Amino acid sequence: MFNALEILGPGLFGDDAKALWFPDQASTYAAESDGTYAMILWVSAFFFVLVLGPMIYFTFKYHKPKGGKATSRVRHHNLLEITWSVVPCFFLVIMFVRGSWGYLDMQTPPEGTRQIDVEAYKWAWSMNYGNGAIHPELHVLLNEPTKLVMRSKDVLHAFYVPAFRIKRDIVPGRYNIVWFQATIPSEKASDEELDAALAAHKESGDATWNYDKYQITEDGYRYYDLFCAEYCGRDHSMMQTYVVVHETQEDLDAWIKKISSRGDTPPAEYGEKLYKLRNCVGCHSNEPNKVVVGPTFHNLYGYERPLQSGQTVVADEQYIRESILEPKAKIVQGYNPQMPSFKGQLSDDDIASLIAYMKSLSDRGETASDAAQANDSTASEGEAEVAGDDQPAAAEAAAN
Amino acid sequence: MATGAVPAQSGGRDAGFVSDSENYLKNSSGLLSWIFTLDHKRIGVMYLVGILSSFLAGGLLAMGIRWHLMSPDGLLFSNDAYNQVFTLHGAIMVFLFIIPSIPAALGNFLVPVMLGAKDVAFPRLNLCSFYLWLGGAFFFVGALMMNGLDTGWTFYTPYSTSTDTSVVMATLGAFILGFSSIFTGLNFIVTINTMRPPGMTWFRMPLFLWATYATSIIQVLATPVLGITLLLLIAEKTMHIGIFDPEYNGDPVTFQHFFWFYSHPAVYIMILPAFGIISELISVHSHKGIFGYRFIAYSSIAIALLGFLVWGHHMFTSGMSQVTVIIFSALTFTVSVPSAIKVFNWVSTMYKGSISLTTPMCYALSFIFLFTIGGLTGLFLGTLSTDLHLHDTYFVVAHFHYVMMGGTMVAFLGGLFHWWPKMMGKMFNETGGRISAAIVFVGFNMAFLPQFLLGNQGMPRRYATYDPEFAWLHQLSSIGAFTLGIGLLTAGLVLLHSLFRGKQAPANPWGGATLEWHCTSPPPFYNFKHAPAVGDPYEFANVEYDSATDNYVFTDLPRELVPDEHEPAPASAGGQA
Repeated sequence: MFNALEILGPGLFGDDAKALWFPDQASTYAAESDGTYAMILWVSAFFFVLVLGPMIYFTFKYHKPKGGKATSRVRHHNLLEITWSVVPCFFLVIMFVRGSWGYLDMQTPPEGTRQIDVEAYKWAWSMNYGNGAIHPELHVLLNEPTKLVMRSKDVLHAFYVPAFRIKRDIVPGRYNIVWFQATIPSEKASDEELDAALAAHKESGDATWNYDKYQITEDGYRYYDLFCAEYCGRDHSMMQTYVVVHETQEDLDAWIKKISSRGDTPPAEYGEKLYKLRNCVGCHSNEPNKVVVGPTFHNLYGYERPLQSGQTVVADEQYIRESILEPKAKIVQGYNPQMPSFKGQLSDDDIASLIAYMKSLSDRGETASDAAQANDSTASEGEAEVAGDDQPAAAEAAAN
Repeated sequence: MATGAVPAQSGGRDAGFVSDSENYLKNSSGLLSWIFTLDHKRIGVMYLVGILSSFLAGGLLAMGIRWHLMSPDGLLFSNDAYNQVFTLHGAIMVFLFIIPSIPAALGNFLVPVMLGAKDVAFPRLNLCSFYLWLGGAFFFVGALMMNGLDTGWTFYTPYSTSTDTSVVMATLGAFILGFSSIFTGLNFIVTINTMRPPGMTWFRMPLFLWATYATSIIQVLATPVLGITLLLLIAEKTMHIGIFDPEYNGDPVTFQHFFWFYSHPAVYIMILPAFGIISELISVHSHKGIFGYRFIAYSSIAIALLGFLVWGHHMFTSGMSQVTVIIFSALTFTVSVPSAIKVFNWVSTMYKGSISLTTPMCYALSFIFLFTIGGLTGLFLGTLSTDLHLHDTYFVVAHFHYVMMGGTMVAFLGGLFHWWPKMMGKMFNETGGRISAAIVFVGFNMAFLPQFLLGNQGMPRRYATYDPEFAWLHQLSSIGAFTLGIGLLTAGLVLLHSLFRGKQAPANPWGGATLEWHCTSPPPFYNFKHAPAVGDPYEFANVEYDSATDNYVFTDLPRELVPDEHEPAPASAGGQA
């Protein structure tokens, strides 16, 4: 029994804080939405008592043994009927008007609103801050209206931030717009806390940053959850990202600058970062033989790829570039063409960094071009830099 | 066995007991006598078996879902498997259980008997609709066996046009089930219009018939739209005709309009017959005429009509124009008024009644509690500013479970217990029945109240895994769901037990006044020898309890207007001479 409770982890039997009602009211909509909710709740409670009170009272009061007779033969009462038909209508009109008022406020963004382009795809988000600065997290400025222009690359998704009380479907073939104004800034964690989290992350060997575990972003901010609220397939429940509200323009600009370029980071290292941030990791593993959705990146570069068309190509720089920009051009045997294109999403330098990262994952990273020229099939014993005893297996996995 | 035994002591009329040679369950035997039967009662029983089997399957899937969600990372399934499980849970419960539950199983049995008729208008069509149901069910099972189904029961495009799972097979199944539903509806409309006995005017019909009539109208008018939608979906998926999939210049929102144009009225196909059952149950077990008969009858029709105008409230966040959204919000509020009228009338019926807390009454009271919560929480979703927060969260999940399960399923169980003696001729164990009602009530609230809180906090629906802060509410909900499962199992065992050990049911064990209580339990295969004379279906003054037989008998109404004149008794209403 004790073990069973441990499997369940924090929860009913844990002692963590148990929130009951709503998340933080972190946008200008929240107070109005919660106020309307509270109003409806009181009206509902009133009618609930009005119905259930008499019902329970009558049940006890008029409970009789079998064979008892009703003591009233009244079967209709028009005044009563009209009263309980009309009185609820007044409450309904109030709810309707107040709800629509709040809704209309959410529809038209004010002039001069900062715009962020959002792309949703199975099963990740990319927020485009302009000038090639693209990141899965949504970073906005405190007390400034922000407009999201959202499109989907594949199926229906929905943008939902509970703390902002706002939701909007993202429909393929349409641009859906949502705007909001954040009112509570995300705290910045202390340097010690951030360092501890970064160290723990390095130690854990997790492929991606574990937000729930550290409760801060990789840059040390507290965050609000952003969920996909429209069912979109296998990893729908993992299609989450995080909203950070910056207090000052400078802080936000500094963050955008930080994510927008490679800077002095070596290409392979930056490629690894992109691999996680842009959610290549969602479908492509970097371990031998592990197929998530698409082929693994391990021992991909430099190897021959059997295609659905029956041809074979060597995975060189040009092949990888093409596969990123036009994923449906060359489909490897045994896989479905479901990867979205990253055209316009990744700069040349980003793609070069990703290729460098893939090279670092392949034991043919250095010698592929020579090997391809020599047209050898399984040469390259002595040169293996990465533990390379799994080439046949890896080739097999790729063919599956 | 004595036929037509009338208790001597009270001098009341009673249908007595049926002989084996006339009992509809026993008058012929063998598999073929069931497979080819045209008797609406046997078809009703076959539906009942099929529907309860589907309910068991859907319920086990629900238990799997709740077990899985005991932990944030999921205990049981991979994400893919979870998606298939919740899809099948929804699809089976909606298409195979709730929609046909009351109309097809109880309705088939009751509509002709309540009308004093020998059968429905088109007995062969009736059998045909049962086999269509069975065919549709096989397609669903087939889809499950082949590749599974992971679109959610709503089949939203473009996910449904791009997934590899058996969408075509499942939609064909739903298409066939649609025809089953249309045929049943058509049959009932014609039956009620043409086969009412002499004296049964529209406003002397039992309210269950009013509800069934309203339901049938929706079935006949709305279900063809579902058929068209599903055919278009199949055409889109196989031939890319370009209507729903943006890749071929279609629009996914169009699919949602088409789908909900059927599926919202379908919600009323599910709940209206439940209203009908509750009107009967509350009145009979309070031994008092239903309060506000005409308002309840008209509100059924009002719901059926208004129900066609509110489908857009499923799509408030999809990007419809602001005007459209606001109009749909307003229309949505209007449909809540007739539902409220019914609830008030039921409670008023209990006033100064003589309430017997039998098992059916316990379920009926439980229904009023649960449906009131389900209805009131709908207000939060009809109101636009709160819906933008609550849409597609667990708040919605809790809301429609309160309406569909706390409403329809609980009413179905209440009705099943109420008419079980009539259908099977056996009394069940009352204590066991009441205990099952209590466990179901407690388990249900424990399972679904926490889900409202989850929705408030922003937990989206259809999630295989979730953030750790939601864990405690999910675990509470799961424990409630298991309790609910035990309650339903108890109810099932009580009913099964009665088949083997139950004592023989008298003709009128609860004291009802509608026509089905005028014939034996179970009815003879011909229901009534002659069309019975019809009085007020809610007149209980002449229904007397006979403690010797634990039965209610009909006496003559006191004649107040002409006290001196001795009139002959009205023609016998019973089926037995």
